[in-house]
Amino acid sequence: MGFLATDVGGTFTDLVHFDPASGRVTIAKTLTTPDDPSSGVMNAIANGQQTAGYESGEIRRFVHGGTTVINAITERKGGRTALVTTAGFRDVIEIGRGNRPDLYNLHASSPEPFVPRYLRFEVTERMDTSGQVVVPLDTASLEAIALECEREEVEAVAVVFLNSYVNPEHEIACEQVLARRLPGVAVTSSHRISRQWREYERSNTAVLNAFVMPVVDRYFARLQAALEQEGFRGPFFAMQSNGGMAGFASVRAHPLSLVESGPAGGVSGAAAVGALLGEPDLLYLDVGGTTAKCSVIRRGKPVLVSEYRLDRTRTHAGYPLQVPVVDIVEIGAGGGSIAWFDERNALRVGPRSAGSAPGPACYGLGGLQPTVTDAKLVTGVLDAASFAGGSMRLDMTAAERALQPVADRLGTDVAGAAAAVIRIAEASMLNALKLVTIQRGHDPRDLVLVASGGGGPMHAAVLARELGMRRVVIPRAPGVFSAWGMLVSAPRRDLRRTEMQAADAKAIARGRELFREMQAEAADYFATRADDLECHCAMEMRYRGQEHTVSVPCDLETWDVVAMLEAFHRAHEEAYTFRLNDARVEVVSFHLQAELETERPTRSTFAGEVDPAPGQRSRLVDFGDAGRHVAARYWRDALEPGFRTEGPAVIEEVSSTTVVLSGQVVEVDDHGLLSVWEAA
Amino acid sequence: MNTPPPAGVLDAVTQEIIEGKLLAIVDEMGLVLSRCSMSPVVYEVLDFACGICSMAGDLVAQTNGITLFTGTFGTQVRSLHEKYANSLAPGDVFVTNDPYRGGTHGCDLAVVRPVFDGEVPVAYAITVAHWLDVGGAVPGSLPANADSVFQEGLRLPGVRIARDDRLVEDIVAILCENVRMPELALGDLNAQIAAVRIAEKRLQEICARYGRDTLDRACDRMLSVSEHLAREVVRSLPDGRFVASDFIDGDGRSPERIPVNVAITIDGDTMTFDYTGSAAARAAPINCSRGALHSAVKTVFKALVAPNAPANDGWFRALRVVAPEGTVFTAVKPSPTGWYYEGSAQASELAWKALAPLAPERFSAGSYMSLCATYLCGELPDGGGPFVHIEPLHGGWGATADCDGTNALIAITDGDTFNYPAELLEARFPVRVLRHGLNTDDGSGAGRRRGGLGVIREYEILADGMSLYASYGRTETPPWGVHGGEEGSRNYLEVVGRDGQTVRLARTAHHALRRGDRVRMVTGGGGGWGAAGERDAGLIASDLRDGYIDAARALRDYGFSESSARANGRR
Repeated sequence: MGFLATDVGGTFTDLVHFDPASGRVTIAKTLTTPDDPSSGVMNAIANGQQTAGYESGEIRRFVHGGTTVINAITERKGGRTALVTTAGFRDVIEIGRGNRPDLYNLHASSPEPFVPRYLRFEVTERMDTSGQVVVPLDTASLEAIALECEREEVEAVAVVFLNSYVNPEHEIACEQVLARRLPGVAVTSSHRISRQWREYERSNTAVLNAFVMPVVDRYFARLQAALEQEGFRGPFFAMQSNGGMAGFASVRAHPLSLVESGPAGGVSGAAAVGALLGEPDLLYLDVGGTTAKCSVIRRGKPVLVSEYRLDRTRTHAGYPLQVPVVDIVEIGAGGGSIAWFDERNALRVGPRSAGSAPGPACYGLGGLQPTVTDAKLVTGVLDAASFAGGSMRLDMTAAERALQPVADRLGTDVAGAAAAVIRIAEASMLNALKLVTIQRGHDPRDLVLVASGGGGPMHAAVLARELGMRRVVIPRAPGVFSAWGMLVSAPRRDLRRTEMQAADAKAIARGRELFREMQAEAADYFATRADDLECHCAMEMRYRGQEHTVSVPCDLETWDVVAMLEAFHRAHEEAYTFRLNDARVEVVSFHLQAELETERPTRSTFAGEVDPAPGQRSRLVDFGDAGRHVAARYWRDALEPGFRTEGPAVIEEVSSTTVVLSGQVVEVDDHGLLSVWEAA
Repeated sequence: MNTPPPAGVLDAVTQEIIEGKLLAIVDEMGLVLSRCSMSPVVYEVLDFACGICSMAGDLVAQTNGITLFTGTFGTQVRSLHEKYANSLAPGDVFVTNDPYRGGTHGCDLAVVRPVFDGEVPVAYAITVAHWLDVGGAVPGSLPANADSVFQEGLRLPGVRIARDDRLVEDIVAILCENVRMPELALGDLNAQIAAVRIAEKRLQEICARYGRDTLDRACDRMLSVSEHLAREVVRSLPDGRFVASDFIDGDGRSPERIPVNVAITIDGDTMTFDYTGSAAARAAPINCSRGALHSAVKTVFKALVAPNAPANDGWFRALRVVAPEGTVFTAVKPSPTGWYYEGSAQASELAWKALAPLAPERFSAGSYMSLCATYLCGELPDGGGPFVHIEPLHGGWGATADCDGTNALIAITDGDTFNYPAELLEARFPVRVLRHGLNTDDGSGAGRRRGGLGVIREYEILADGMSLYASYGRTETPPWGVHGGEEGSRNYLEVVGRDGQTVRLARTAHHALRRGDRVRMVTGGGGGWGAAGERDAGLIASDLRDGYIDAARALRDYGFSESSARANGRR
């Protein structure tokens, strides 16, 4: 009996096991094995088996997530990939959008395409914007292309034809020929990944899917074989970037759907926490060793972006991907983030991180640079003896030595420097939190903050106070929260169709047709009946003349035109502060989110953690703006449901420390969750 | 190098936090504007900018959008401040699009809001966006044959368009009556007002949290630190005089080449850019006004002293710009300025050309330079009304000392500016895109490092009654090479009639199109860096494999052939 999830991160592979009979949750952590992450996964499983005593044959569901896909892309370790595209357009993936975000850099370059020019082939064919064939596909010419692919030992091919988002007929014909001619080569047609317009974005999506396919395919095959050898019978799922999971077979065909697999696990977990609490609108914050990530959950569902830009920065255009990804803002501020001074002599924190090797100075593993974790130790938020459940003693002298140059440069003492480092890190976290809320039209005061990762619970109280949020929730075992989120996720499929039209009665009728079509496609995908799916429909709408759209949740069975328009005006006003009642309205695309109802873990008890410093009742902590106080110190597992106290306090557990400020109240609820809110 | 003094512990941290917040505010303004706008040139091409200026008119934060507006905000705000300082009230919003008061051309409409903390004005929020049409002689308001500003549409020389946060209906009525697409104009006006309102709200939050004085002090300090760093860079360069000259190809009414020049003097920690001697303003839209000239010079100066840091006016205190009134770079009323960005691009490139040998780590060889804007006009099918489609083209950039030039990148005048997806164009306008690819036909400047390639975009016209107008520069004078690198290739526009006749165009006021015509928009490749004979054979071979150059060009430019390479390999 049981559910099992594993999350492969940059440093650790986390495992969470849930036994539905006893409600018991067991966690395990092992080092990630970068050369073949599946062996780290098997180590974690062996490790967990010892603690939890489960039998592999009893596991009813195995969910896997992690960084395999994004690493293959950023390290360019995918397969050798070719592109077949419409005549006249082979340079589209190289030209990109031609923008120069680094606008004063006269040495600026564009993102390097994933297919070199000599592996980009053009085919005579043309579809028009309404899906009519203008020039038929020249199938005969594909023979020469297949030969060239063989000669060049290509491992994957992407097929992208213009306007295939309207009519994919030519892509289908082409992929059939190539699949027949090139057995063993992974073929990706763009329409199978995205039915959205914009040829560069769709091309890049198809190309990256093809690029990672050989690698991901081998990886999942190896993992599944290893699991089966250990007696696991499946079903085997992978965590997708949309916050839902999908079977191994599906993700092997659509590997790009895993691009933000790890963070999506946390978002899915936050939504599950919200469901436990009856809170559908949440802000999720995950602070790890290198970065902080945040995301919004509305009406119980992760907010998705339909176009995601991988590697986009203020100075780099990045790679657009038309796959549904939870809307995550990520910044380089985590526990290992290094404090430094820029050329203006201003104090900065991150994005460079000491990571886990050498790690923060206080780890005593050879790190010399001052990090956020060192600052946390100096301010008293962390305790040298009880850190990580006492498994690793922190070195206060090393932390102080690392922070001394910061203090000297600021003209203060080490304590002042530590407070400054934390303030800077929190200021950039605040800007990221505002970006996913305020700038997207969500008021943080209406949201509950769910904080995880080793660092989230240390910063949450300050950030929530600054944003005027009403409540902070810290889940159990925040250090393995992404893996837990994978465990509680459901199989999900997101489908989109771009079909621009006026928002009138005809659009409602067409929408009903399209949603029925997409529901059937989703049911087919899950090999189930449409009735077994929980479906959410939304339309992307805008004022005529606008380009960008607002997503409007819709109920087309009951809607008339007036109801549709009012829903749109309201959504636009919420997002952008104004409405134009007299302007014409358009529908641009239709979005279906289908979820398969499955059994999920319910009431759970976590295996107990032992307090390494049971005698410690209080310590002096510098809370920054909230002052320097003697704070009560608690061991989380020693607190019973219903426990309640006022800040200042620190509540420790193996993977994190929760900070409660003076003026705040903390309570342990029936689920074992910590809730923090302002007393007044 | 001496470092600026630290500001004390509390200040240093607060400083960093406030600077971060100011950037977050302008980013948010940009997001609101681009998301709400109704002009494709705003939402797709991102031809806009947002900023915050101090009450003294110093730019303190700006969106990462477009370089053309690097230097215009300060002047526009100062010009408004002089006029209205005594009557500013909360809820005021001003508009200005006057090229002679710090602006650029009539289509760039700036919306400015004084930001109040209680009853005290603390800053100005400003956005400028390219409006698709502001009236005048032709749809799009940029007649290539304008001989005075009066053909370039309605000018609003700094007028109050909202009072107490309510639009002044009289002004709105004038506006709506004088533009071709009032629905669109109102949409963009609303979007811009939404953006400056957001800025006010956020600045008020900063004042509430940190106090108005802290905000002022943080801005002052940011400006003085930037100034200090800029002066350090200038001081590190050798004193001296550096000159460059070039030509603007055609003014819109006449194809003749217009001579322009710059002399840059470095003296200690100050740099002077002197454009004296450049040709007189033309009775044609190629001119730019002084505000746009300053912006053009600031762009290059910023590229020299701090390419990666956020822009603010502190960087430019070490900079002087000299030019007499009435040149092609300092046009005065009523000289037209419709295609001002062609003039200002040339002003930027002159400075860049003079400085390239001095600072190879910052500059490249010459680029395709001209935005090569093409306007397609007509009626949408099925009574959809008139349309204007503006398309700036991307092109080849010059080589640098270390790398080949970048292919198909937007010109110096723009920045985070996107090309149009073919699928979007075809869904919206009666055209079919036949080709969007790198211009390997005309190539780029050969050299130890070669120039980047331009693009070819070819459209088939699918409806009768359409027309185009355009302004292509560098159609005669190719991009320059550096240290023996070859010149790049030229930009051009061709219409291949359905009868097979080809017409080549450059700056064109009107060209009628018929169904079946093909419009070919072509940009050139950038200049090379270093002698072609020094190019690595491996790079030439890989260019051949990728088809960036063909065998004939390899032989002609580099004396390279596969067989001789093999022979060399054996030796």
